[in-house]
Amino acid sequence: MTSYLIAIAILVGIRALLTLGLNVQWGLAGLVNLGVVAFFAIGAYTSALLAVGGVSLAAAWPAAIALASLAGCGLAMVALRLREDYLAIVTLCFSEVLRLFLLNESWLTRGANGVTGIPRPLHARFAGHYDLFYLGLVLAALAFVYWALERLRRAPFGRVLRAIREDETVAAVAGKPVFRFKVQAFALGAGVAGLAGIFFAHYLAYIEPNMFLPQESLFVWLALILGGSGNNRGALLGSAVLLGLLEGSRFLKDVIPFLTGVQLAAAQQILVGVVLVVLMIRRPEGLLPERPGH
Amino acid sequence: MPPIAQYVFNGLVTGGILALPAVAFSLLWRLLRFPNFAVSTYLTVGAYLALALNHGLHAPIGLAWLGALAGTGAVALAVDRIAFRPMRDRRPFSLAIASIGVAFVLENVVRFIWSNDFRSYDIPVTRAMSVAGLRIGRDQLLILGVAIVLMALAQMYLFRTRLGIAMRATADNPLLAAVKGVPTERVVAVATLGGGALAGGAGVFLGLDASIDPLMGAGLIISVFAAAILGGVGSAPGALFGALIVGTVEEVGTILIPPTYKSAIGFAIIIVVLLIRPTGLAGARA
Repeated sequence: MTSYLIAIAILVGIRALLTLGLNVQWGLAGLVNLGVVAFFAIGAYTSALLAVGGVSLAAAWPAAIALASLAGCGLAMVALRLREDYLAIVTLCFSEVLRLFLLNESWLTRGANGVTGIPRPLHARFAGHYDLFYLGLVLAALAFVYWALERLRRAPFGRVLRAIREDETVAAVAGKPVFRFKVQAFALGAGVAGLAGIFFAHYLAYIEPNMFLPQESLFVWLALILGGSGNNRGALLGSAVLLGLLEGSRFLKDVIPFLTGVQLAAAQQILVGVVLVVLMIRRPEGLLPERPGH
Repeated sequence: MPPIAQYVFNGLVTGGILALPAVAFSLLWRLLRFPNFAVSTYLTVGAYLALALNHGLHAPIGLAWLGALAGTGAVALAVDRIAFRPMRDRRPFSLAIASIGVAFVLENVVRFIWSNDFRSYDIPVTRAMSVAGLRIGRDQLLILGVAIVLMALAQMYLFRTRLGIAMRATADNPLLAAVKGVPTERVVAVATLGGGALAGGAGVFLGLDASIDPLMGAGLIISVFAAAILGGVGSAPGALFGALIVGTVEEVGTILIPPTYKSAIGFAIIIVVLLIRPTGLAGARA
């Protein structure tokens, strides 16, 4: 049971990182990104493929974050001039096309077979209680990112982003290079999502393209909105509640034993979807609303 | 390798199917001011409703198709009442997110009832005709014909009937239309019902042309977006031509690149249109 809880805690930590990344883009700067899973995938694949190819993790990890960030920058340059409904469509499509790329370019990504044997950092040294060590690693990264983003949110950079979120024209009139700030925020969020992808890949030691379906982006959004967008505490809480929801509904099987595996998975997804819709209608500000002035 | 004309013909059939949800998506987007991601899932809903009628009640496919039209329209209307109506005055993005949630729920309800298996309708097998070296299926011709007739009807409805004209007025300027006495909610209800029916009918066509599975509608989502954006959001004829072009380009494109990349072509079309001519072919104000 303890090992199960540790595994869950690791996944919550990874999801929380991903949610923090989206919170930079949406919560802080008001940029719609329905393809957040794409940057998660870029981080995971870059790091995994480099590491499997023999590159040391000390080089692979920064490279993975950089590539995720760069991809975010590229997409932002094309898409951020668009109105938000178009942006929603473009980002979602981007993540789907990226998944197709991962599935089809097997020479690079190993296609549907996925990448196996991804090295787990310091595995030999912490054999026996490896998950506990990995949890520490994830939590340390999470704590650092949280601290850095909190500082950023209160710094002039964060204030400008929030100003842009509230009213772009006013920010522009005040002399802020709005487009540049938006691209930076988008790239930063993408980089954080890439970091989450790194932890994901090296924990599971195996990744394949269908782990990065569009619905994963939906889950990140659910976590963010559930917790309360705009503040980082909300992002943490939302991720924990979401995983509780996903994991907890697994025990539906004990209550309703006659369901097949497919039906159980479907029921779980229905629950997630219903929670999202009800939340959007009833409590769009989330469990922990952003406090004005902070 | 079959002649290029074969790819073009297959593309036109795909485009004809695509046109129905594209018109629905495009008009609803213009009318309600948010991209409704659930529209492509209405295809799946329609296909399975017809499957239930066709397999369960042994209804002939034509009758099952009509049932799917009515049933999917009703589902779309119910979704609008339950999920979107309480959020009418919110920003587009909130509604878009809610619509993804709705799509997710509908898709999984289908999966819950029918599982992930691929299925097909019970229909008499017909032989494909051979015309000038092209293989042309009878149901392909029928699909293309019915799609074009439906499009013509939709266009006539929008321009010749009172409620259709009211619908265009509301899409142009909801406030002004409401002031002038247009019953906004009735307009929205009719558009939703009609849009759902079109998408549901397209789902049956897709099931006839390919196969039926819970992801069939979702797999088409990028192509539907591409058709609507290429045609110009809010224009029914635009969406029709957009769909025919997207369908044809995607099909012909498979000569050069693997068929699995079909939706990448749709994505490329979206990006190019948005960069060069964001208002689309029809040039409606975006």
